[in-house]
Amino acid sequence: MSPDIINGFLQASQVTTIIAVASGCFIGLIIGMIPGLTISTGIIIVLPLTFVLEPDISIALLLGLYVSGMTGGSFSAILLNIPGTPSASATALDGHPMAKKGEGGRALGIAIIASFIGGLFSFLCLYLIAPILAEIALKFKSPDLFSLVFFGLTIICSFAAKSLIKGLLSAVIGLAIVTIGQDPMMGTTRFTFDQVNLISGIHFLTALIGLFAIPQLADNLSDILQAKTQNKNSSSINSILPKILDLKLMRLPMIIGSAIGSFLGILPGAGGPIAAFISYDYARKFSKKSEEFGKGSPEGIAAPESANNAVTGGALIPMMTLGIPGDPVTAILIGALLIHGLAPGPLLFVENGEFAYGIIFSFFWANIFNVVIALIGLRYLVRVLTIPKTLLMPTIAILCVIGSYALRNNFFDVYVMFSFGLLGIIMRWLDIPIVPLLLAMVLGRQLEEHLRVSLISSQNDITVFFTSPFSLLFLCLAGASIFWSFWAEHKSKKETF
Amino acid sequence: MKKMRDRNLVASLFLLLFCAGYAYLTANLATRAIENTTQPSFFPWVITACLTVLSFSLFVQACIPNSIQTVPKPLDIPPKRLGCALILSISYLALLPILGFVGANILLFSGLMYLYGERRLTQILTFSFLISIIIFYLFREIFQIRLPAGILERIL
Repeated sequence: MSPDIINGFLQASQVTTIIAVASGCFIGLIIGMIPGLTISTGIIIVLPLTFVLEPDISIALLLGLYVSGMTGGSFSAILLNIPGTPSASATALDGHPMAKKGEGGRALGIAIIASFIGGLFSFLCLYLIAPILAEIALKFKSPDLFSLVFFGLTIICSFAAKSLIKGLLSAVIGLAIVTIGQDPMMGTTRFTFDQVNLISGIHFLTALIGLFAIPQLADNLSDILQAKTQNKNSSSINSILPKILDLKLMRLPMIIGSAIGSFLGILPGAGGPIAAFISYDYARKFSKKSEEFGKGSPEGIAAPESANNAVTGGALIPMMTLGIPGDPVTAILIGALLIHGLAPGPLLFVENGEFAYGIIFSFFWANIFNVVIALIGLRYLVRVLTIPKTLLMPTIAILCVIGSYALRNNFFDVYVMFSFGLLGIIMRWLDIPIVPLLLAMVLGRQLEEHLRVSLISSQNDITVFFTSPFSLLFLCLAGASIFWSFWAEHKSKKETF
Repeated sequence: MKKMRDRNLVASLFLLLFCAGYAYLTANLATRAIENTTQPSFFPWVITACLTVLSFSLFVQACIPNSIQTVPKPLDIPPKRLGCALILSISYLALLPILGFVGANILLFSGLMYLYGERRLTQILTFSFLISIIIFYLFREIFQIRLPAGILERIL
């Protein structure tokens, strides 16, 4: 066994790292179950607290939050029929009917165990696939990396948008924002308008806080009446641990959910909600009691729950090996790594192998603590659902402001954050997805750098992108992804007519 | 459907204008006299081209009367509350460097509590003071992030 694996395991099993993982899980369960708060927002709120921590501890805490946030989302979906996170929407279909029958505890137990299995399965995928993929990625040269990043962007746009044009527009706007500041090759300042604060560019996390948190705060402003009443009707929780019969019923849906979730997690942009609904659909098709779906079927809870937790490990694979985020949360994790001076990508396994395996094993611990804390603390955790939004939302607003200030100790970043908040609201009004913009901001610099390095090394010969087999493959995949999106859009329009 | 087309039309026109501005700024970027290398303006030109094509496509899409475009769920905020939230945010941003994080956060917190539906004055005052101060000290003392206290620097 490689010394990096052993050292990584030991690093992830240190007391401080374990405490960080457990704290992350605890916070994640709470944030996940609060309707109106997504995991991304939760991580954004917690991120400033991690600036002072060591990178391994900081990432361990965020991973705990990521994993448990997915599980926490199912609590409110089951008890209140309000999914705490978008990924828990499919869980509500059977979870809430079961809770209404007075079996809230049973439904929650099934969700927790299914989440655990899904998470564990994706850990195995991460552990086995990531090092191999990183080794292959080491062979990539600049043209290959450019084509890979380009492919990542196109697939994100096609997944994240109902309209491909709007998805691509969002990504291109993100790329335009990235060009503010110093040019990555020569250090020439661009679009800074003689503003000292803009020389180092717009910090991706500042933009992220604004784009995600402000529209969400505005969203919650619209339903204050619901906010006052929704949290009072959580049903009582009976015994939590699933019975043997339930476990037998859950086996196949959990396998389906885990496999689909892990696979879709690897694809950038697919995310938890898609995985959860696809798994739900397949579980129903394969079930002997498909007529019970939608009426409180244990299989209907197990499939989406295992899928959305399996997405977490899957999404970490492209993030760690290729530096390409699979979803907004992994994009924030990339930001967190960069803050600590670590660049995710194939070199992470070569230069910081111990750290890379540390992340993988922290993910393992996150799944363990997720199930332990959820099972033990469930009765107390669900009380969080009674916290009024009149206290919660202003607290989040303040944490967002402090978070954006703390990045560079600069008021300018607070103003930038609010501006991006406004942009987020406008984009929502126009039905332009935010995720491609965000991911373009993460990948934009790399895209420009690889493009220009490739052109310089080939003396401006554009065929360099077509002569390398890897590059050609990624460009073909990018072309296929764009073509597929156009075809799907065209088909859906035809069906509507 | 028509509503979304109107929105797309406005957005595409705005984006085309933005493209023009961006192209103008790109054309005026500094150049470097190094042979066989791409200039700092290279990537912005690529973006300008892509943005123009996409904005124009959106414009065309907005002009086609039969295209299916669903209107997203609107932010159903009463205009009065939305206006108050905007005024509160702008005042907060203006006052933040003067009042510092504690003073400005107390104002923001109490304002937001009111906007989110809290009407009890004692609750508003107690929680806005308490939470703002707790968060301030949490970051300043435990996380060692130096948050400015503005005019309250001497007291805190």
